[in-house]
Amino acid sequence: MTPHRPPPRPRGAVPPSTGERVYRALLRLYPSSFRRRYGDDMMAFYRDRARHAPRTVRARARLWLALAGDVAVNAAAERLAFLVERTRPVPAAGPVSTPREESMSVLIQDVRFALRGMLGRPVFSATILATLALGIGANAAIFIVVNAALLRPLPYSHVEQIVAFVHADPYSQVSEGEFVDYRRGLSAFAGLAAYSTPEATVGAGDESIRAGGARVSSDFFSVLGVVPELGRTFAPDEFLPRSASQVTVISHALWQQQFAGDPRVVGRTVTINGTPVTIIGVMPAGFDFPKVTTGFWTPWRFNPDSLWGRNNHYLRMVGRLAPTATIGAARAQAGTLDARWLKDFPETYGVGKPIVAAITPLGDYVLGASRPYLGALLGAVGFILLIACVNVASLLLVRGEARRKELAIRTALGASRHRVVRQMLTESLLFAIIGSALGIGLAWFGARALVALAPDGLPRLHDVGVDYRVVAFTTAITILTGLLFGLGPAVFGARNDSITALREGGRTSSRGASGVARRVLVVVEVALAVVLLTGAGLLVRSMVKLQAIDLGFSPARVMTMRLTVPPVGYNDTTTDLLFRDVLASVGRVPGVQSVALDGALPISGDDSDWSIMIDGRVIKNIGDSPSAKPEQVTPGYFSTMGIRLVRGRDFAESDRPGAPPVVVINQALANKLWPGVNPIGRTLKMFSDQAPWLTIVGVVGDIRARGFQGAIPETMYFPYAQSAASAYYMPRSMSLVARTALAPADVANAIRAAVHSVQPRMPISEIASMDDVVGQSIAARRFTTVLLVGFAGLALLLAGVGIYGVISYGVSQRTYEIGVRMALGASPGSVLALVMNEGIRMTAVGLVLGLAGAAVVTGFLRSLLVGVGAADAPTFIGVGVVLAAVAVCACAFPARRAIAVSPTEALRND
Amino acid sequence: VPSRPSPESLLPVKPVELLVLSMLSAGDRHGYGIRQDIVDHTNGALALEAGNLYRTIRRLEHDGLIDETGRRPAADSDDERRRYYRLTPFGRRVLAAELERLRALVRLGEARRVIAPLTA
Repeated sequence: MTPHRPPPRPRGAVPPSTGERVYRALLRLYPSSFRRRYGDDMMAFYRDRARHAPRTVRARARLWLALAGDVAVNAAAERLAFLVERTRPVPAAGPVSTPREESMSVLIQDVRFALRGMLGRPVFSATILATLALGIGANAAIFIVVNAALLRPLPYSHVEQIVAFVHADPYSQVSEGEFVDYRRGLSAFAGLAAYSTPEATVGAGDESIRAGGARVSSDFFSVLGVVPELGRTFAPDEFLPRSASQVTVISHALWQQQFAGDPRVVGRTVTINGTPVTIIGVMPAGFDFPKVTTGFWTPWRFNPDSLWGRNNHYLRMVGRLAPTATIGAARAQAGTLDARWLKDFPETYGVGKPIVAAITPLGDYVLGASRPYLGALLGAVGFILLIACVNVASLLLVRGEARRKELAIRTALGASRHRVVRQMLTESLLFAIIGSALGIGLAWFGARALVALAPDGLPRLHDVGVDYRVVAFTTAITILTGLLFGLGPAVFGARNDSITALREGGRTSSRGASGVARRVLVVVEVALAVVLLTGAGLLVRSMVKLQAIDLGFSPARVMTMRLTVPPVGYNDTTTDLLFRDVLASVGRVPGVQSVALDGALPISGDDSDWSIMIDGRVIKNIGDSPSAKPEQVTPGYFSTMGIRLVRGRDFAESDRPGAPPVVVINQALANKLWPGVNPIGRTLKMFSDQAPWLTIVGVVGDIRARGFQGAIPETMYFPYAQSAASAYYMPRSMSLVARTALAPADVANAIRAAVHSVQPRMPISEIASMDDVVGQSIAARRFTTVLLVGFAGLALLLAGVGIYGVISYGVSQRTYEIGVRMALGASPGSVLALVMNEGIRMTAVGLVLGLAGAAVVTGFLRSLLVGVGAADAPTFIGVGVVLAAVAVCACAFPARRAIAVSPTEALRND
Repeated sequence: VPSRPSPESLLPVKPVELLVLSMLSAGDRHGYGIRQDIVDHTNGALALEAGNLYRTIRRLEHDGLIDETGRRPAADSDDERRRYYRLTPFGRRVLAAELERLRALVRLGEARRVIAPLTA
């Protein structure tokens, strides 16, 4: 047997380094017997390890991370093994039981004892359980949502190889010629597919609906690695330009809605924009690429011999990397190709407008926008859980003090310290387990509520559920919370000096180690609440600033809906007539003040950019030409939307085909093309030989057509009636906007009826008030902000309760002292100061720590902030004031009780 | 005298324990030496930290598979003295039994064409 004492360090050894001291401190987490046996060998091991690790900061960080992880896991495991060993009784004569049975019986005993203890103090236990259930429930609920949206892999095979491939602004999309060149020239891709997302009127039987579609190139489904649930996807010959067969693959959702999940749907016919098309397949549920709303896919029949113009960027691409290629290699190859195009097609890509490939992993492309919001929420609930743990720990500490005498007696009767620690830990874990069971119940409903409240923009929330990740996460946080709030009180409880406790007769002072611990816990709690409050405050301020931004139009009391001309039987002239009749009919609806049409609604509508020519300027290359966002509108559009007319006139009914073609531009375009000059009377035209010159008759105010945070697009407005000649084509699908005297929702049905009285077969979709359209654009932000404010309120409440608990307990423990002071002539004011002082001091320390922490943590929120810095003084001051107010309230109640102490009673009671 | 359990009753041996036993079959090692041997053997895929290693050592010692051969200075470092460990005869039998078990498993895998048989 080797001696257990560590040998003296060799003579002449250098004093221990900081790292050694830290590591030795970490070793204290192991049970002492283990430490005695292996401690100095582990120190030697550490020295070897440190000596052989590179001296870079990175390597050091990695070393300490590994060491900390190792200690955390193994010290906990060893302690558990040690406790089990320790509680094993000495084998006696008689029936021998296995160690497992022994430890089980001890465990059952502990659990039974803990349960009895819980039931004996129902209010205390209920408080703890409610706190834990809230903390764990909130975490699990948010995690379920985050898991559904972000963590679950996209349902494509080897999704890590799939990338989204578009262009950086100003091109943002890809033209046919570019797609062909990319597909031929990039060896880093095993497959590359292009798609566009037209909307279409889908008719099945008598009913027709507007549905999102995708026209896809031949490799689309194989790039994504998905197979249909029913039927097949497209055959190669179905992509040929001359192919006569009209086929489509529909989504699971469309199959359920329009065909009630009929298993014989394959082979049936639907009409897409009036053309009969055969359904050849149904995609599985959850496959919603490229859009959540995509209802059908059709083959894109492009003719490689007659491509559309290279400057017509209307496609997006999705690619699968070759097995050996990296995304970096793909970017490099695409970059080389782009640079060559700049030389080969100078007429397309101007020097000022280089074309830049943007290749991102598909997951980032689909989920990127919602990531920071969900991250902020997950962080916030993490804080809530920490605060809940701190609260419970401080409750248990108080309880531990009250139980000192009981523990002292048990120790005196021969219970080992480890047995006592084990018992208290069992209690904590039991609390954690019951609390988390309640919490998971809450989370189940919470997650459902979150999904119901979540804005439509959040992707992939259609099948939120519990999978192994959720189970693992909840189990982990349950165990962690149990240890976190249980370990401290247990250690303090076991450190109990039984003789003193018995001598004091169970009366305690709040000056002991556990009193300090409780104060530290409150400080921590306040600090955590401050961080959370600051985060919420910053988001609220961003929200306020955002909504104060002038949109340039007034969305209140404007009803909108999308109208589509039935696909068969209408040419440009009859389409124009149909819409004129519709406008007249809607205009007669009671409550409608004015009505107009718009090709693409602000904020929710598509965004395109057309190259133009201006009078008096010679431009050779389309790449060097100016461009603007096109918008086809009917007379009265500007007044209906509340867009300011700055100069000139609005469109009139006389701006018809045959009349001189006219155009209205916004201020941004006017300032860009004619700075300091009145543009009325000037002319512009589309970048095409056939296009006529258009005379500018008006200038209107800028609107934030891309949302509160988007840049203001330079815009040109065409009269709808002239658009076939002046702006390439006359759109068949238009948004109706109606300014109403009543709430928009009240007239929606009447407007629909008025539309259908003119043309019963006209599909109507996207019915929404303009306020909702605007609200939708910031729905994710609003959702996050509201939740975060709720969490911050919860944190504030918990912190207040924490301060109250400690001060209140302090007062009850010091009744005797206060009584003596009062008997000796202390004024109520000085007693008040005595009590308040403590609370204020704790709050102040917590506040300072919290604000310092907030300054660091809010940096992570930076991408979500608008108009406020991460270190926003008003927010920080506001948080300080709110917290101070809560702290004063939390101290005031116990302080009042302290003043009310009657000296005679206090002294008599002892 | 407490009777030793049969080597077979300790099978299967945990992967980490198997590695430690295998490394000690080459001769006595101190803790860090065992770690380095494992790092070399697994091409760096497995690098034990102290806690993991010494808990394994504790279990192996407890079951009588290894014991310590006393302290002596390590050759490659300062004159610090370290505990060296060796395989006990019982430990060698357990290791052999475990390797036999694995050999049978390898044979099975070869017979079923999961892996190609080694042609010597």
